[in-house]
Amino acid sequence: MIAIYIVAAIAVFAVVRATVEKNTGRKLPYVNVMNFAVAGAVVLLIGHPLALVAAAAYFVGSTLEANAIASTYAGGERRG
Amino acid sequence: MLGELLHILAAAAVSWILFVTVDILFKLPEAGGVSGASAIARDIEAGGGALSGGTMMGNIVCSPDASAGTLLAACGVYVAGIPGGLVAAALVFIGNRICHDPGYAGTTGAVLATFVVYGFTQVGFAATDFIAGMVIAILTIQGLSHAHASRLLARLWRVRE
Repeated sequence: MIAIYIVAAIAVFAVVRATVEKNTGRKLPYVNVMNFAVAGAVVLLIGHPLALVAAAAYFVGSTLEANAIASTYAGGERRG
Repeated sequence: MLGELLHILAAAAVSWILFVTVDILFKLPEAGGVSGASAIARDIEAGGGALSGGTMMGNIVCSPDASAGTLLAACGVYVAGIPGGLVAAALVFIGNRICHDPGYAGTTGAVLATFVVYGFTQVGFAATDFIAGMVIAILTIQGLSHAHASRLLARLWRVRE
């Protein structure tokens, strides 16, 4: 099963790129790739129907975090 | 082993075409869904990329889009067949609402991907090929060269316009 090794290698590659990149706006897409890879790895490693819920929960949570970091970085939402 | 690798690469190409088409049809490059998506787009443009392509990449970061839908649908088909894919679509829908995303690109992508992935499993592919394939597909957009990826997406967006 070569799929899990490809996914794991891409996760590590994305982490290295995110660590090296200094600009926050350009760092987040690399983190996004890592999130995809980790969500895929959860299902590939566990293979149980509930692993789908775990992967989706991880993915939505990490996306929400990226959303929050990016929006804070942008200065937040202006109100009033 | 070589056969599986070729299947994964073919699945990556199919996933890439599927999610880019759905995202562009749902106008992700048009405007940032949240202020963070626009900020990412500006940074990508400052790094030599194109603004509309960067906006789509920012939107992909900030809310589950068709690429996330394709990944989770492939995961769903792997663990539970078509019902699993449809459960994944429901989870993506909830994720969109949590992430303050008014659109339906993610949900639509997940439903479409469920049937595409299931169709390919009937002709010798494994759902795991699509999980790895989708991770490769997102790597080509978000993880290799933001400048080149955003310019390519901007070119495809101009075709849509």
